[in-house]
Order: sequence, then C-alpha cells, then structure tokens
Amino acid sequence: MSGIIEVENLSYGYTPTSTILKDISFEVKPGTFLAIAGPNGVGKSTLLNLMCRTLTPKSNTIRIDAVPIESYSTRALASKVAVVRQEFVPVFGFSVMEVVLMARTPYYGTMGFENEADRRIANEALEATDTVGFASRPLASLSGGERQRVLIARALAQDSPVLLLDEPTNFLDLRHQVGIYDLLKAAQLEKGKTIVVITHDINLANQYCDEVLLLSTDRKFHIGKTQDVFSPEQIKKVFGVEVFAGEVGREKFFIPLGKLAKDSRQISK
Amino acid sequence: MNKWLWLLFIITCWMAVGFAISGSMQGQNRDAPPLPTRPERIVCLAPNLTEILFALGLEKEIVGVTLHSDYPPAAAEKTKMGTFWQPNIEAIVAAKPNLVITLGFEQQKNLAERLKRIGYSSLMVNLEKVSHLFKVIAEIGSATGRQDRADALVTDIRQRLDKLSVLVGTRTKVRVLWVVQREPLRVAGRDTFVNEMIELAGGENAIGPTVHKYPPIGAEQVIACGADVIIEPAMTGEDLAVQQGQALKHWSKFRNLSAVVNRRVYVIRGDTVSRLGPRLYEGVETIARCLRPELFGN
Amino acid sequence: MTQLLTPKKLIVRTGLALAVLVVVMFACSLIGTEDVSLKAVFGGAGSQTVANPDYEIFVKVRLPRIILAALVGAALASSGVVFQALLRNPLADPYILGISSGAGLGAIIAVISGLNWTLWGRSPIAVFAFVGALGTVWLVWFIGRLTGKFHLAGLLLAGVVVNAFFSAIIMFLTSIVKAQQVYATIFWLMGNMTEEDFLTLWVGAGCVAGGILALFYISPQLNALSFGADDARSMGINTARVRTIAFAIAAGITAIAVSLSGLIGFVGLIVPHAVRLVFGPDHRQLLPLSGIVGAIFLVVADTLARIIIAPAQLPVGVVTAIVGGPFFLILLVKYSRKVSWLK
Repeated sequence: MSGIIEVENLSYGYTPTSTILKDISFEVKPGTFLAIAGPNGVGKSTLLNLMCRTLTPKSNTIRIDAVPIESYSTRALASKVAVVRQEFVPVFGFSVMEVVLMARTPYYGTMGFENEADRRIANEALEATDTVGFASRPLASLSGGERQRVLIARALAQDSPVLLLDEPTNFLDLRHQVGIYDLLKAAQLEKGKTIVVITHDINLANQYCDEVLLLSTDRKFHIGKTQDVFSPEQIKKVFGVEVFAGEVGREKFFIPLGKLAKDSRQISK
Repeated sequence: MNKWLWLLFIITCWMAVGFAISGSMQGQNRDAPPLPTRPERIVCLAPNLTEILFALGLEKEIVGVTLHSDYPPAAAEKTKMGTFWQPNIEAIVAAKPNLVITLGFEQQKNLAERLKRIGYSSLMVNLEKVSHLFKVIAEIGSATGRQDRADALVTDIRQRLDKLSVLVGTRTKVRVLWVVQREPLRVAGRDTFVNEMIELAGGENAIGPTVHKYPPIGAEQVIACGADVIIEPAMTGEDLAVQQGQALKHWSKFRNLSAVVNRRVYVIRGDTVSRLGPRLYEGVETIARCLRPELFGN
Repeated sequence: MTQLLTPKKLIVRTGLALAVLVVVMFACSLIGTEDVSLKAVFGGAGSQTVANPDYEIFVKVRLPRIILAALVGAALASSGVVFQALLRNPLADPYILGISSGAGLGAIIAVISGLNWTLWGRSPIAVFAFVGALGTVWLVWFIGRLTGKFHLAGLLLAGVVVNAFFSAIIMFLTSIVKAQQVYATIFWLMGNMTEEDFLTLWVGAGCVAGGILALFYISPQLNALSFGADDARSMGINTARVRTIAFAIAAGITAIAVSLSGLIGFVGLIVPHAVRLVFGPDHRQLLPLSGIVGAIFLVVADTLARIIIAPAQLPVGVVTAIVGGPFFLILLVKYSRKVSWLK
C-alpha cells in the first residue's frame, strides 16, 4: 500500500528557543483526504513543509510508506510526495505544457528531453485539471484560478501517491474553489491518492474531506473524521468564533456569526 | 552520470591534443630574427623617436610613424601606424619592417611582446630623462649603423647646452611654476624632464618634491610657492600673444606672486618643451628666454 | 503560441547558428584597416627573411583575435543566462556578484606590483585578474551564505556591497599610483582583444565549450529552478547540487573571459534576453544559442572596434555598450508590449 503518512512525536521550532509544533502524532491512511485547519500561525504550513521535507524534521518523526522521510533521496521523495504551494508566476515566460512537464525532469533521458511516457502522464494531468486548452499558452496569461489548476496538474504529473496542498483556494472565486475541490476529490477517488489540504474553509473541508487535523494554539491537536471533529463547541474553542450549525443532507454546515452579524442572535446558549 | 564522464573524457582529450600540437609548433615557429645591422624599413612609435631618426638622416628608411609625428614636416607624410597610445599592429605588419622602435611604457611594452610573438623584433628604449636622450640617440645610432652621425648629434647638443649654461652663469635661480593643465590645476613636478630643462635654463621648480610626476595641486600651494615666472605650454593654436594675455588674466588672482606682480606669465609653443628629442636645446633656450630675457637682448 | 522544444529542433537551430558564426568569423577576418587578399594568404607564410604580410596579418593578427572574441562572447552570454536563472532575475549579468571588481582589483594590483614575470607567456595581469575574479565570487558566495542558505537577496546584497567596496579600493589605488600604470589598468579594464597564442586559445576554447556543455546537461533543472528552490526540490531536483555546479561553472568561464580580455559589458545581459525573446525561456535551447549568438555579437563588435576610428582602436567594451544600450531599450519596449495583456 502506498501513500501512508505516519507522524510520530513531531516537534519543531524555527529557532533553538522557540517551538511551534509540539509532540504531534497522527497517521494518514492511503487514499485519505485530510484537511489541516487551525488559526493563523499555529503551524499548519510548517507541518506541511515538514511533511515534504522542505523543512527538516528530527529523525524518524515522519515516515512515508514506513520509510523515515530523511532516508529518501530528493528524487525518490518527489516520486512519493508532490506539493502545491500558492500559485506563482516565474519571471520567465514558460508555457503551461512546459510547466507541467517540469515535474517529469527527474525522469528525462540522457540528453535532457522528455520521452513518450512523460508526455502521456503530463497530458493526463492536464485533462484531469481541465487545462488542456491552455497547453501552449504562457502561464502568466492565465487567471489565478487557472494557474492554480496548472500547478495542481504539475503536481499530478509527478505521479506520486501523496499530494500536499497549502491553501490552494486562497484568492479564488467560488467557482474555482469548488472546481479545485472537485478535482482533488476525483484524484482521491479515481487514483487513490492521499491528499492533505491546508484550508480555512470549514464547510468545504466538511463536504469533501474524510478527516481533519485541527491544530489549536494551546499546542493541542485533534484528528478524526470531519463529522467528529467539527462542532460548534470545538470551533469556538479553537477559533474563538461563534458558529451556527445546521444540516444539509447528511453533512453539517457552519455559519460563522460575529457580534454584529445580522443573525447573531441565532446563537443562543 | 555517464554523460559527465564523457564530458570529462572529451575535455581531457581536447587539452592533450592542444598541448601536443603546441609542442610540435614550437619548432616551426618563426623566431623573432636578430636585429639587422643596417635596417632598411623602420617603424617608430613615438613622435620624439621620429625626430631622432630624421636627425640621424634616416628619412628614407622610415616606413611608419604614429599619428602625431609632425616634425619635421616630412614626417607627416609617412604612413600612420595608429596612435602613440594604441599602435595599430596590423598596419605595422603590413609595413613589413625589419626594425620597430618602441618606448618603454606599459602599452608599448605589451605591443613589443605581441610583435615578438608573431616574429617581429623591436628595439625598446626608455626616454624619460635628459640623460636618457643621449643614450638613446647613441643606441639608435648603433642599431641603424649611423654611429657617426649619432655621436655628432650628441656632441652638438651638449656643446650648445654648455654654452647656454655659461651664458646663464651662476646667478640666483629663477623660481618657475610650470602649469600643464588649468582645470584641475596640474603642474610639472621635480621628477620630470621638463624640470631638468628648467634647471638647464637656470631656473628651479617652485614646487617641492612630489609623489606624482605631474601632481594636481591646490590654490594654497600656488600662493605659497613664491614663483617668479609662470610658464604654460600653449593649449590651442591661437596667437601666442592672445593666449598670453588670457593667461595673465587667469593668474592675476594670485596677487602675492612675484610672477603676477611683474607680469612674467609666459605661454610658449608646445613641441620643443613637451617632447624630449633632438630639439632639446631649442626647448631649453626658449625657457631661458622666459627666465632671463635680458640675456637675449629682447 | 509557444511550441515545445524537441531534440530535432534544438539540433537544427544550433547547427544553423554555428554555421552563421563560422561565416561571420570568416567575413570579419577579411575586414580591417589593412587590405588583405585571400589569395595572398594562401600563398603561405613566406620565407624566413621575407614574410608574407597578408598571411601574417590574417593568420597571426586577425584570426587569433576573432577566435578570442568568439570565445569570450560565448562565455559571457552563457554565464549571463545562468546567472539570470540562478538569481531568478532578468537584470542579472555575469558581473553582478563581484567578478568585475574582483578582476579589476587583481589587475591593478598586478600593475602596481610591477611584476615582470610571465606565466607560460601570460602577463601577470591576466593571472591576477583571474584569481581576483574567482576569489571575489567565492567571497560573495561565502558572505551570501551567512545570510541563510541560498537566500537570494542576501547573495545579491553581498555582491553589491563587495562590488562597491572593491571599486572604491580600485579608485583609491588609481589616484595614488603613477599615471602610466593607471592608464594601463583602465585601458585593460575597458575590454580589449589582442592576439593570443595558440595554446591559450585552444585551452580557453576547450574550457568554455566544455563549460557550456556541462551547463546544457543541467538545463532542465535550471528550468525548474525558475519556480524557486522549494518547488524545484519538491519536483525531485537536487537544488543544492545544481546551483553549486551552475554557479561554479558560470563563474569559472566568466573569470576566464575576463582574464583574457578585460571587462566587456552588455554581452552577458543583452544576448540572453534577445535569444529568450525570439526562442523562449527553455534553457536547453537558450543556453547553447545564447553562447553562439554571444560569440557572433562580440566578433562583430570587435570588428567595428577595429575599424570605426582607424587607425586608432576603440576598446571593445565601448562598442558593446553603444550598440547594446539602445538595443536593450528597444528590447525593453518590445518586451512590455509582448506581455501587455498583463496590464
């Protein structure tokens, strides 16, 4: 089985005296769609960066497919874990196809050119993200949402069992937000990928993710199925915000209501 | 990693081949030939060298000069080999010289090296002091088979200089400020051939010893130098009298200087005093006329 | 709009560019202040006592100089491509990290020290300039790393500071030193081509061509680096290794170029831009083509330098600046029009 992430007693601080993450342990089974949520600054991005080794964790605190993350070579790790960060436009005008193919660089032939398999994988990634129409356009000419899909396509082209995304729907409009979550869900269901998403949107997480890892500022964390973790009490405790909970179909939805919100009196208790 | 080994291999082979070819070329290369005793095609790379060659009667043998070689007038007709700062190596080669005479400073030294590498030998001379002049005339004389004329020339210059020093006598030396540039102010220091000419003419430099040959100085030093005479080599081709008037006006702000008080500011023609060559005596005499006009019945 | 690069396209374009380079080199070797007839050149070297001037000029004066110009142009343009990729900055040139002031300082120290020895016939200026260039790059690299591993801003700042500091030292030395030595250094610094001997050209060509080939090997990685080190590493690229190799090779061939011909500006900045504008940013193509176009550019510039104010010669650096400046401005305008839909 591939795509298992095990985190055991992970602690991390950017300086020797500070700690941002303390003794975090959890396991992500293969093919799970996990959301990481929590207030700003609690260490979500740090955790993600540790899970892809952009930051270096202490030995044997993170294992991918039962192998400690530090034992992987850069190339081997890339074949296991792909990361999508905030959408970004490089200075030089690469086209969408060129960008997606970059993910195949470790597999290029001797003279540095892609082969048939690479092109096929790249095309599949483009189709999965519905960006085939942009293939020969410069990345810079696309809108933010389209660019984000291209970066996801690039990550898909790595053909890795694990996909990590850091707030992929920031700054995107509603249609694109939903589009991306649909895309990710499809990748999970059709390809069996393990997907970890950092998100601020509780409702989208509720609708699409199987589990959620909730980090709170008191260094506590909760992990479990979304319906078990998300509740008005939990949200109030972690985010300090009152929410009105309701149900749509089988899932709950949460509407945050601040003091001056129109329906703030709906929140009794 | 295969392609890296390949690259290393190719580069090593390339270098090895290069060294091999270079080794075999050593034997074939035309060495710079020894200097001929009576060269027939001479290229000289400085105006004062040109003057020396003409003075030794080598007009016909000269096949190339630099851009500002204008004395004697016949020199201006010769093929130009670039400038004194940047001689044109192609022109030199095209002139097919069997002797190239260069000065000793960095640029021309490099050129001599380059010429040597492609098989042309040259004679490098140092011409920075008056004593060098006599040596160089003798050197060039023997390199071109004109020793007799060289000796005669040297003797003639020396005699005339001796006569002048007798005329000037041992009176108090006249203090001279020699200005080569007004803005920023630059004067000739003690370590220059200009200074030697001043002393031969019975003067002494108003400026003390300096690090630079042609130091930039400030107004303070001008005020303190106590110059009896200010001499400027002419900047433009205008009438000398006009330039002298302008110079006097320019220096009049230094009212304490005896040079200004006595209106002894002179502008003189550049060539004979800025080029160290066979017209050395003419240059020194011109200066002496400025320092002691009474001796020359002017 | 943009097509993918294929091996065939690359080979065809590189081949054509090389052909143009050869033609240009040949044509320029027939141009100069003296008239040289090709037939006379084939007459051979001539006898020991009477040299054939056409041959001498062509083979011993012009050809070495043109080959040197090609070599230096290729080195500067390729390293320009690499520095722009590493620093993710289209305004970077090979001198941005201290190479220029380091070479200049080395040169002026050599001149002042008045050393007269030669190393295999190379003047001490070239050797000191080479050592100065590499030493300064290492210093900048070292200082930059103190600000955090591969922190780009830190590296750039270190380069700016070191450049300023060394330039100040150069100016100081220039003002206290004898006039002739100053002129010699400044003249050298302005960039000039002289005839080098066979071995120097051969070894130099080998190093530059080998360097460009090595850089070609890591071109796909350079492509990925344009997204930043973190993303590149996530894609499976050994960023540290690629950066070190690219930096070392680019600095090395630039130091070779500078030690042979002084500081020639604009080639390393303009040529990568021009080639990128026409052929796109893929480094697998950008690198070899920039090298060849850089060679062509400098050969032509040097030829102009030789004939424009004949019989005197302009320093090549002046010609590249005069040609490069306006050309760069035109590029800038075109560039902004090309991406105008961004506005």
